[in-house]
Amino acid sequence: MLLLALLVFPAVSKAAEPSAESRIQSLEERLGKLEGAPMKTSLSAFNPAIGAALDFTATQTNGRSNFNFRAAELNLEAPIDPYLRGWMVLTGSPSGIEVEEAAVQTTALPYSLTVTGGRMFASFGRLAHFHNHELPSIERPLSLESFIGGESQADGVEVSYLLPTPFYLNATGGAYNKLGGENGRADNASARYPDSFTYLGRLVAYADVGDDHSVELGLSEAWTPKRSVADTSVAGTDFNVDGTPDTPNTSAGITTRKNTWRTLSGADLTYRWHPAEGGIYKGAVWGTEVMQNNELRFDPATNLPVDRVRSYAGYSYLQLKVGRRWRPGVMLDLTEDLASARTLTRTYTGFLTFDVTEFQRLRLAFSRTTDNRPAGLGSNTVALQWTAILGHHVHGFRDR
Amino acid sequence: MRHLAAAVAFIVLAQAAHAAKLRVVATIPELADIASRIGGDHVAVDRLARGTEDIHQVVMKPSFVSKLNRADAVIYLGLSVEHGFLPGLLDVARNPALRTDPDTLNCTGPGCIDCSVGVNVLDKQQSLSRAQGDVHPQGNPHYNLDPGNGPKIARNIMEGLARVDPARASDYEANLKAYLAEFEPKLAEWRKWVEPLKGVKAVSYHRDMAYLGGFTGLVFVDTIEVKPGVAPTPAHLARLVEGMKARGVELIVREQQYDAKTPAWLAERTGAKIAVIGTMANSSPGTETYIKLCEANLRSLLKALGKEPIK
Repeated sequence: MLLLALLVFPAVSKAAEPSAESRIQSLEERLGKLEGAPMKTSLSAFNPAIGAALDFTATQTNGRSNFNFRAAELNLEAPIDPYLRGWMVLTGSPSGIEVEEAAVQTTALPYSLTVTGGRMFASFGRLAHFHNHELPSIERPLSLESFIGGESQADGVEVSYLLPTPFYLNATGGAYNKLGGENGRADNASARYPDSFTYLGRLVAYADVGDDHSVELGLSEAWTPKRSVADTSVAGTDFNVDGTPDTPNTSAGITTRKNTWRTLSGADLTYRWHPAEGGIYKGAVWGTEVMQNNELRFDPATNLPVDRVRSYAGYSYLQLKVGRRWRPGVMLDLTEDLASARTLTRTYTGFLTFDVTEFQRLRLAFSRTTDNRPAGLGSNTVALQWTAILGHHVHGFRDR
Repeated sequence: MRHLAAAVAFIVLAQAAHAAKLRVVATIPELADIASRIGGDHVAVDRLARGTEDIHQVVMKPSFVSKLNRADAVIYLGLSVEHGFLPGLLDVARNPALRTDPDTLNCTGPGCIDCSVGVNVLDKQQSLSRAQGDVHPQGNPHYNLDPGNGPKIARNIMEGLARVDPARASDYEANLKAYLAEFEPKLAEWRKWVEPLKGVKAVSYHRDMAYLGGFTGLVFVDTIEVKPGVAPTPAHLARLVEGMKARGVELIVREQQYDAKTPAWLAERTGAKIAVIGTMANSSPGTETYIKLCEANLRSLLKALGKEPIK
């Protein structure tokens, strides 16, 4: 009996012990978890990811030069809970510190839906929702400055739906106080009736053309059913020294409020060439966007409504990649005056980007601006831009 | 009429069969290859990168968003090597099973299959700073260049598929065994092949050779890039020429996606030989699978030095 027990016991105890292989595998798994553990300490584990972009330029326009601190953008981003993520972009510039974006976005809605709320860059067009330092050239195209009001910053809510089609098709609808950070038609502070909000619809389709080429087409429409107009603001538009339109002239005239509506329609087309081989060294992007602004204007002399003014604007640019770090390009912008469609401003820009590294970029640009007014002044601008990225940096899909 | 009904029934059944498959997206071709071997008929595998790109600079295409939106799982190398495209795509893919962790830039969610789990990560930084170049916070992520990591990658894929689709776990395990039965003898053979490479000094274009060096015994002493992701400068290249001569560097390894001129210029001045290798499957003809990629890379290294594989 004892002999039997001695014979059986080692076998039982051997069976109960894990094999060397499984112990090694278990150790490997534990080690793998340790090696893949987050770098953060427990105290900072829930802090948002932080990044910043610094943007400086030196410009010379018609013989006068200046160093410009354009912006320092601080970017914070983190998941809020299992259903929401949030981000903030705080921008410091010579005009002060501004909350450029402060938005939350759902992450767990069914049916490929996303809801974004807060202050965001609305999904109108393509370059309108790029931050300044992410644009292909130094200056934002005049057409976007004039028709949208700079970046498409908007306080409101957006719903986006990725359609279940074999190709990429995305629909977006939004409601905002107004569209455009520098759009002076409305302000964010005052309450309004539903017909005074701006409503957006956008549809984007994309197709790969073979392995190396792709085409993306977007259609956008922003509609403000009712907006109040002070007739002093339609009396004319001031122009900057370089001939670009400035803020509406509000320095004189009797202020009476009229109600009207506005539509801003746009179409954008982007073609990209990303060759299968040598993609680090060559490639091309051709982007074009056209817009129509449709607004009722009032005769400053009679205060009576005049014909509806339809103005058009747009830009087209081609950017090539001709080396690992070199990206030359050209851009043409045509912008009609919002109040007088017969006044057309043309801007021709040539630019050369040098990507020192992924996180530092130098860009040289020359632009010539002219308009067709009899007394219009042309201007020539040479600019050098230096952009740097600090810290956390994610390549965003929207800004690609 | 009967033929029409049969055709419709066939299409409906075919669609139903396709729908029943697990939809898997792999970031790079070799992961797609291994996933299709392990998943077999149960999975429909799609890939993002073509294999010819620099993995750090894969372009985010909207068509990738649609693929990730419908995917049950995404298979990726991890260690933030896909930081240039995967986090941005996952942010907009609206797939609750696949999300981006904004800190690590890794995928987080039940459908994420990280192939780096259990990999012995090399080149972990003692301190992190962008002054060191475009370094990866979690260590060198190019572990797929070491054929010795093949079984680990395959096992991670099997475990990931089994987790996402437990009903077919036994099939995935059986397919893994079959794959390893093919891979492991090759691995043993390759270990013999690389004997002549042991101790040979080399430079590479990018700092991605730590794992391949570990497998082959090649000693990588410097890179053509100034630092990871920082393009070479004339001053750096001049120093590199002197350094290569002083250290007796015999081999320049050019990753297929980088330009040929600079390595050729270096070879002319130092007498070192050039080997062109792929960093992803499908990077050149004859490298469509992971096994073929490993084999082609080792052959290229040996051929550059005028050596034959030891059988």
